[in-house]
Order: sequence, then structure tokens, then C-alpha cells
Amino acid sequence: MPFDPKSSDHAPQWRPQLHRRDVLRGGALTAVGLGAAPLLAACGGDSDSPSGSSGAYPLARPDEPVTLPIFDDNQPIESGLEPEKADALRVLNYADYMAPGVMKDFQKKYGAEVQVTPYNNYDEMLTKISAPGAQFDVVFPGPSVMSRMVYGKLLQPFQKSYMTNLTNAWPEYQDPWYDQGSQYSVPYTVYTSGIAYRSDRVSDPTEGYKMLWNPEYSGKMGVLDDAGEALGMAMLAWDITRDINTGDPELINAAKDKLNELIPLGVKVDITQYETIANGKFSVHQSWSGDMIAARWYLAGGATKQDLGYWIPESKADVVIGNDNICIPKSSPSPVLAHTFINSILDNTIAEKNFNWNGYQPPLTKLSAEYLIDGGYITDNLLSAVVVPEDFASGIKFYEQTPAVENLYLAAFQEFQSGGS
Amino acid sequence: MAVAEAVAEGRKDAATRFLWPSLAVPGTAWLIALFVVPFYGIMAVAFSSQLDILGQPIPAWNPLKWDFTVMGQVIDQSISGSYRSGWEHTFIYTALAMTLCVLIGYPVAYYVARLARGNRGLLLALILAPWWINYLTRMLAWVGILGDEGYANDIVRFFGFAKVDWLGGQWYVVVIALVYGYLPFFIVPLYAYLDRIDQSLIEASRDLGANTFRTFFRVTLPLSRIGLITAMVITALPMFGDYYTNTLVSNSPTTVMVGNSIEESIQSGFSRGQGASLVLLLSAVLLIFMAYYLILTVRASREAR
Amino acid sequence: MTTIGVDAPGAEKAWDDGGRYVPPPESVKPPKKGFVPPWRNPWRRPYVLATVTWVYILWSLVPVLIAVQFSFNDSRSRSSWNGFTTAWYCCGTEEGSIAEGTSVFGSGANDALLNALQNSLTLGVVTTLIAVPIGTALALGLTRWRSRTSNVANAVSLFPLVTPELVLGSALYLVISTLYTQIGLGRNALILGHVTFSISFILVIVRGRLVSIGNEFETAAQDLGATRMQAIRTVLLPMLIPAIFAASMITFAASLDDFVVSNFLYGDASQITVPVLLYSAVKAAPSPALNALATLLLMGTMAALLLAYLVLRLRRKGEGGSALDDLAGVEM
Repeated sequence: MPFDPKSSDHAPQWRPQLHRRDVLRGGALTAVGLGAAPLLAACGGDSDSPSGSSGAYPLARPDEPVTLPIFDDNQPIESGLEPEKADALRVLNYADYMAPGVMKDFQKKYGAEVQVTPYNNYDEMLTKISAPGAQFDVVFPGPSVMSRMVYGKLLQPFQKSYMTNLTNAWPEYQDPWYDQGSQYSVPYTVYTSGIAYRSDRVSDPTEGYKMLWNPEYSGKMGVLDDAGEALGMAMLAWDITRDINTGDPELINAAKDKLNELIPLGVKVDITQYETIANGKFSVHQSWSGDMIAARWYLAGGATKQDLGYWIPESKADVVIGNDNICIPKSSPSPVLAHTFINSILDNTIAEKNFNWNGYQPPLTKLSAEYLIDGGYITDNLLSAVVVPEDFASGIKFYEQTPAVENLYLAAFQEFQSGGS
Repeated sequence: MAVAEAVAEGRKDAATRFLWPSLAVPGTAWLIALFVVPFYGIMAVAFSSQLDILGQPIPAWNPLKWDFTVMGQVIDQSISGSYRSGWEHTFIYTALAMTLCVLIGYPVAYYVARLARGNRGLLLALILAPWWINYLTRMLAWVGILGDEGYANDIVRFFGFAKVDWLGGQWYVVVIALVYGYLPFFIVPLYAYLDRIDQSLIEASRDLGANTFRTFFRVTLPLSRIGLITAMVITALPMFGDYYTNTLVSNSPTTVMVGNSIEESIQSGFSRGQGASLVLLLSAVLLIFMAYYLILTVRASREAR
Repeated sequence: MTTIGVDAPGAEKAWDDGGRYVPPPESVKPPKKGFVPPWRNPWRRPYVLATVTWVYILWSLVPVLIAVQFSFNDSRSRSSWNGFTTAWYCCGTEEGSIAEGTSVFGSGANDALLNALQNSLTLGVVTTLIAVPIGTALALGLTRWRSRTSNVANAVSLFPLVTPELVLGSALYLVISTLYTQIGLGRNALILGHVTFSISFILVIVRGRLVSIGNEFETAAQDLGATRMQAIRTVLLPMLIPAIFAASMITFAASLDDFVVSNFLYGDASQITVPVLLYSAVKAAPSPALNALATLLLMGTMAALLLAYLVLRLRRKGEGGSALDDLAGVEM
């Protein structure tokens, strides 16, 4: 059968096929996943079933929280150990997502240089962390990849006796829905997804997402290099659906078509908006809230703090909101040092220093929105970039998907990045 | 010849009979393990039908289990789907860049090889220099110049024109960057070839009454044909597989080349199958050039023997 | 000395010893008989070609010089000039310094830059040390060993030469992440990858020299009583040294220059090489420290080249010809 890109059933045939019904049921797979022994890459073997070993992990939802399993061959380290004397702490993280000062301080105290290997999105992160021979001590995944990483045995469970500072976190993050009991993760940052813009160049920021499609800013705009974020944004912008986790190929395709409309307008796909909006390379860019708070460090070409703007939908119920976690990869050569590092990031003072540099709010009770605004970190024009705990109850969140649905998004996004069809 | 001597000779031969093959063994083994097998690995990934828990294809090492569905889709998409523009850009940009390389590179190589005199050594050093300077360094240089506040826009504004968004996904910037990047690799081999042409042939043509142009088109150009083709192939092959030049000076879906699609799909993991299929298609296209070049090389080395 | 075609009265010789055209001095140009169009006059100076050449040279080198200039820029910008500083190279560590924590050298510098420089140099040296012996042995073996198998090996060994790096890089990446998992991405993978693409051009360079030497010298040595091994060691290898030297230089430079294969095969930030660092930084947030790093790499390459040039010139003494020609002639 020849491939018809316009056909609505656009999922390439070789991918694990799930019936739409199954996909839409989403969380229903949780039960299956928890019941079945986890199937792993290496065990996939020669099974002739096209779905191979995929799909056997639970899909956490706020109303269907998940307790991640601790496997016999993947146990937490002992408590009470001294941090290893390592040359380096290998961090797998987004670029510019942690303050150099914080990393230097850690190096001074423990002698290990903090080395950051950067990635642009979770797919790159998963590729890097699962590569043979990969050794990382710390990684920063969000809830949307947690199950996969635990069932793929890419993460190791915490020895929580080292995590004394976890009590500093918002209560909901001491026992989150995607990792009940915080066995594998502690929270790093909270953020919303919106549109960053230059108020000195944009005529009507209330256009919101649609600023990106406004030809006025052609050649001066971009979207995030992240399949879920970009396609989800297109869904919300054009009222395709409010369910940014949909597994419906038609809706994903419709969102892709909308993204393709950006190509003739000279869209760029990257995640350096904190710099490129600040230095004027772009006028409008899809962005996470923290990036605009950090953008003040990158101002150039005569732009001032007042020129930075960040738009999110007016109604809290329409805001896309999320958080990143800190975890320890199973491959970590220095797990005690990694525990120590993570615990230090949850320290109020260190977290504040980190926030000052990277602009991403840590969900720590002491560093409340009022505290940060009073501290002068956030100027009035960027109040829209502040996140408060209550927003999480109402906001739209990205959830973990089955590999089949995940691949629908990735394939659609890759088509967009390949110049559309 | 004394019998004893002949026997000794024979023994020596036996001892050294395996000398040449054994010298060739490490290199051959290396290339089999790290060139032939990896190439087979591309096929195993492209023709895989199994995915692991992270959605990455599990290579099908057994050819009986090969599954050509992904390959079929990639071919369809290359002809009429989302990979089409990538292929188009690749062919068009490479053709344009190659034309410019010939138009600029041939005169330069010709001048330095055949006409320059007093300062020939200096010229040679200067055309060799970019050949040795790190490619990424040279691209870094252009990205600085073409930036919003860079020298290129200073010049444009000096002449009273509006600022140009050079790095905003302009196809001509990609082509010029390719020319800039690969021209040294075109000029140097062509120079070496032109340098070897026997001057007396050109002189004979002039003696026989041909003017400069006629001499060039009837004598010099045909004589340098092989060198020209070699230089073109050496330059075209990496251009076809280039993705980083494009990313650095454009990074926009408007100028995407097939190399960009390959790099993205292989390194982002989920679509390694598509990436590997694209690599196979690209190799098939380039095989023509590669085979032609190899035949030329082998023939040249035969003649030299 | 050829003298054909000296139709210009008074011209002593039109060709130098290398057989290259030497236009006669102005004073001995042929007397003008009325108007001679330029294309009719083979003695006319090639102004157009000279101009094209010089414009090309400026175009190819000036941007690099500008990049060097901006490594001294007293601003975080890599495109608008703001005065001179050396902070990006060293010691831009004081609070408030423009290069705070990001200079190449000095305490509190950005360790990633120096680390990348060390990685690149180490990788280049190790690659050369492994690839040159293997490649040279392969060249000797394949040139002198005539059989059907050697013909196949010959063909296979040339393919890496013409395979685009993207194909080689992705092939190695896939095979290391699925089959050779014991190797793992990282330093070992980088060495394997770099040696793989180096072997072929070492083969071509050394074999070129082998073919031009022929085997008469060895035969002569053996006739004079040397064993075959002795003949190789004492006669052939010394004659191959210039080619081996050139091959080593190119291997080292190609390893330093390589981006694609390295970008596929590095595992984490501690193994990153300079080109990979330049690439990811240009994509993210470049600072003049990168230009400083690139400038250092540039100076390193130039120093190595100068050394090569001097060595070749020393060896060339008395043989005639130019060392620069040797450097230009070593392409594939």
C-alpha cells in the first residue's frame, strides 16, 4: 500500500499498532503494566509480534497515581556512606539549566567537577542515557518519561536517608502522583509553557499563541524543539483539542498541519529563547516561563528588562503547566555523591542562587512567589511567568504516553522539522 | 645456481611468503569490523520490525527477518512526502554549490598552478591554508560576520540598504556557506593535477596557431578533465552528507537537507529506522559517484605501475 | 630545456626549470604591430585570473581573521567590536569581568573549553599512533601481495575514503549502540571511529609512494645478500619515510578537524572535542571564548604545518622541487 501523507491514518505501519480505543483509554493500561512483569529491550528477543516489547509500563495520571516498582536487581544504595572522591559529577541536563556558580560551589566542597552533557529534548536525553557505556550521575526528566525510565532500568531508586532537604519542597512534591513516595525523583523546577515576546516589537500580545502565525513576525519567531510542546501548543492555539495528550492521529495531524504553516514564515526550532529573545534575534518564541525570568542576563542591543514579555492564557484552566525532576541514573559511578548533590539542590539557599541564574522556580515552600517577587528577581512585566502551587490543580499537563502514541507525536514533529509535506 | 643456494632460497620464500598477506591482515580486519559490519548494521536497523521499551528499533541481524515496511515508507515519503523537500534541497544546493566551486576554483587552481611565478610559493601557502583550518572554525567565523550586528550588515547598511536577516533560513546563505566550506577541498586536488600537465603540449597548441581560449578549451581543459572530475567528486560526496553547515547558518525547516533529517532521526532515537533507511538511500545515490571515483583511482594507480 | 615557441625576439627562456611559464620582462615584449586583442597575445599578464585568485584568497581567509579578532573583543558579542581584551583567553575570572568564569585558561576558567582542547589533541595523537602503522602495513601488504583476495581487500579499503562522514558516523553509532555494546560510546569509540576513516587515506598516500619507488631497490638489496626483512627495513622503509610523515600529519589534522564522526560517537561532556563543542555552542549561546578556543586550535594547526614544511624542506634539499608542492600533493 503506497504511503499517503494526507491519509488520516498516518501512523506508519511498522510501529506498534494500538487500537485507537486502547489509546484513548490511556490510563487503563496502568493495570496491565503493573500486573505484567516489565519487558525490557534486551528481552524483546525474537518475538514475532510487531508490538514487540513495548507498552509495558504504567501511565501515571493525577487521578491515577503510580507507585514505581523497586526491582530486585536495582536496589537503593546503603545509607550513611561518605560521598565518593570522584573527579567529575556527570550531569545530563538541558544547557544553561543550572547556575554555573552552584556547580562551582559544589566542586569546591566535594572536589568533583560538575560536567553537563546537554540535550534539547527528552528523546535526545533518552538516547544518550540508554547508549551503551553511558555513565551519568544526575539527570532531569519530567513526569512524562518517568515510568519508561524506571521500567527500562535507566534510573536507580533513592536511598531517601540522604534526601534530608526534601521536606523543603511543596507538600505535593514530597509524594507526587507520578512517583508515589518519591522513590526515584525529587522536584527540580516548576514552569508554564507560553509565548515569550519583545514588547517593544510586538503590536498585540493578546494574540497569544497566534502571534507565531502572524506574518508580521516572520523570520523572527520560533517554536520549542520538543514534539509534545510544539504540537500541543498548535492544538491549543487553533482549538483542535484541549487534550494535549490525545492519541488521535487525526488531531495530531491537524496540529502538524498548523505547524507546517509556520515554515514559509521562516520558523526556527530551538530552545535558546532565553538568549535569542533577549538579544533581539527573535521577536516571538514559544517558551517556558523560567526562560523569560532568566532572559535579563542575556539582554543585548539596547533592550531593557521592560522589553521582555511572557504570555499565557488568561484563564488558569487553559495554562500548560509542568515540572522537571532530578533523578539518579542507574549507571552512576558515584551514587552517594549524586545523592549529596541532589540534596544540596533542595537546600533553600542553594536553590535561590540557582533560581537567580536560571529563572526556573524551584517548588520549595520558602521560595514562594511573594518571596521571589519581593526579592526583586521578577519584574512587574513578567508576573505572568510566576507559578503558584494552586495552578497545578487547574492547569493542563503533559502525561506519559504509550510508545505508539509517543511515536505519533515524534513522527509528526519530524515531518514538520523536515520541511513539511 | 648451487643446489644448496636454491634450497636456502626456497626456505626463505616459504618464511616470507606470508609476509605481505600478514601485513595486510590488521588493516583489513579493522575495516571489516568497523566499516563493513557497521554498514550491515545500518541495514539491520533499517529493516528491523521490533521496538524496545524506549521505542527504538532492535536491529534484525538475521536477513531472513528483514522487514521492508519502513524502507517503503521512507521511499514513498522521499518521492512525495515529508522527505521530498530535503532531497530537493540537497540536490539543488549541491548542484549550485558545485557550479560555483568550478567557476571560482578552476581559475584559481589554474592560475596558481600554471601562471603565477614570483609569488607562487606564497599563493600556494595561501590556498593551502583554508584546507588546513578547522571547518567548524571557518563556519564560526561566518556566523559571526552574518549576525544581526555583524560586518555583513554593516556593509549592507553602508550602501543604504535595510539590514538582512542572513541567518534566518536563507537558501543562498546555505549555498554560499557550502561553497566557502568546501572550495579548498576542490582547489587543492585540482591544483595538484593542473600542476602536472606538460607545458609543451599547451605551447604546441599555441605554436599551431590556437588563441588563448582555443588552447584552453581544446588542450588544457581536456587534459585536466580527470583532475576536475576528481575534485568535483571529492567535494560533492561530503556536501551530500552535510548537515552541520546548514544547521549553523540556517537551522530552519525552510532549508532542511537530507543530512539534517538523517542526523535528527538517528540521534533522537525513536526514528532510527527511518534514519537508517535514509542513510541507505543516500548511499545508493552516492554509490554512482563513489564507484566512478574509485574506478578512476584504480585506473590511475594501474597506469602508474 | 625546452625552447619551442619562443617567438618573442629577445626572450631568453619562457619556462623555468620546473617547466612553468615565465613571462618575459616588459622590455622584451613583442613589438606591437597595431592592435593585438588580449586573447591573441599569449604573453599578456593574466590580470583577470590573478584578480580572481586574490579575491578568493581574501574571501577565504579574511573571515577567519575576523573570527580571531573577535576572540579579543571586550564584549560578549561575537559580531560587534567593542575594544580589546585578552580576558577570553586567560584569567577572565574576577567578578564583573566580561569573561567571568568562561575564559579558556586560568583559575575559575570554563573547564569545558580546556578539556575539549585536551581531548582533541589526545585523540589526534592516539589516532595517529594507531592508524599510521596499520595503514602503512596495509599499503605494503596490498601493494606487494597479488592475489584475488588482495583485490577484494583493495576495493574494500578504498570505500571509507569516499563514504560521506555522515554515513560512516551513523553506521558506527548504530553498531556501537547495538552490537559492540562492550565498547560503548565515549573515548574508545572516538578512537575507533577516527582510526577507521584515517586508514584509507594513509593507505593511498603510502601506496602512491610505494608504486613510484617500485621494487627494484629491494630486489637489488636482496641480490646483494640482504634478507627480505632486511631489505624492507633498511631500504624500503627509509624511502617511505616522507610519505609516512605526510600521512601522519594528515591523520592528525583530519582527527583534529573531524566533527561528524565525533559528534555521533562521544558519550558525555567529558569526552567532547573542540569541533563538537564549537558546533553545540554556536547552536546555543556562543561567546568570544569560543573564538579564543578556535584561535588556539588554529595556531596549533599552523605550528604543526610549519614544522611539516620545515621537515620536508630539509629532506628536499638537493632534490629540487618545493616542500609546499609536497604538502599540496599529498591529497588523495
